[in-house]
Amino acid sequence: MDFHVKPGEYDAINYIPHTESHGTKELWRTFWLLLGITILDFVIYFVMPATGLRNFIFIFFGLVKAYYIVGAFMHLKHEKINLALIILVPTIFIVGLIMGLLYEGNALTWVK
Amino acid sequence: MANHTPAAFENQPMWAGGRSPFNVSYGKLMMWIFLLSDAFTFSSLLVQYGAQRFSNVESAVTTVWPDPASIFNHFPFMHGLHLPLLFVSVMTFILILSSVTMVLAVEAGHRNSKKEVQTYMIYTIIGGVAFLSCQAWEWYTFIHEGARLYGNTFGITEQGYEHLHSVSFGDHFEWALGDRTDGPVPFAALFFIVTGFHGFHVFSGVVINVVVYIMTVRGVFERRGHYEMIEKAGLYWHFVDLVWVFVFTFFYLI
Repeated sequence: MDFHVKPGEYDAINYIPHTESHGTKELWRTFWLLLGITILDFVIYFVMPATGLRNFIFIFFGLVKAYYIVGAFMHLKHEKINLALIILVPTIFIVGLIMGLLYEGNALTWVK
Repeated sequence: MANHTPAAFENQPMWAGGRSPFNVSYGKLMMWIFLLSDAFTFSSLLVQYGAQRFSNVESAVTTVWPDPASIFNHFPFMHGLHLPLLFVSVMTFILILSSVTMVLAVEAGHRNSKKEVQTYMIYTIIGGVAFLSCQAWEWYTFIHEGARLYGNTFGITEQGYEHLHSVSFGDHFEWALGDRTDGPVPFAALFFIVTGFHGFHVFSGVVINVVVYIMTVRGVFERRGHYEMIEKAGLYWHFVDLVWVFVFTFFYLI
């Protein structure tokens, strides 16, 4: 049996991935974006008073950073939608769990 | 995008077998699945942190959760100065930078450029080691100031907060008597557990990067014909960066 596969051809045993470069432009743009948001985080921390709105902004910025890291750096934007969905859909439930337990944690203060 | 499906499977249904429905190799798919399960691990830690923190907000009985940035206000070689959030922002910058060099190594791998992969892997490893050193320094300072896994001496009193707010960024600051009392116990414990767990991930990431670097130097991937292993190591490394984004947000900013 010949297991030798020509480059670029799919084979379950000798898989040769496609080696396609998207260039470094998008990567550097993502880097400057992440750096900019981190600096903005730093500035907002000192400029704004500690309110719920500030926390909301920090969490929103965290999610934006996550989007760019997963999308551009981890390349998920360019993967098949099948793969993106099995990774992303379960994380939605995590967000629900966090919100629920924050509420429950707050409720503990009424008992204490 | 290039299609790798051989002609025999071209008109088959996607899930009929003989091809990857996700159009990625087995190893890469499994790395994604592993990262998803690792995301659950970190989420459970963050959920625990959130619940503990919110149960210590305003209460007559328990001490209020301390403001983290006021506690981590040190910077190496600037002893005694009040510089909240600065050091941890530098750590974030180091991790973002090493993420970029990692992704540049992946990109060089796509062009089968062994030399560039080596260069960028070295930068990434240096970034990882720098981050770990920063974290070691931060832990050392925190423990030196009295933080323990089983207790918390960082319950900041009203007097303490008045003292903190009276100094501005970059001024000299030293805790005075009566500034601190016993605080909520989980504060230091959760800090050590979550940043420790993340630090351990960074450490194993550095080990993986070193192994992959040695394999590159020895020409393993050159003989194999592709640099997909760099991509898998890169996925792990970016995940570590991703976790840090949330640790930074929830532990230091909020």
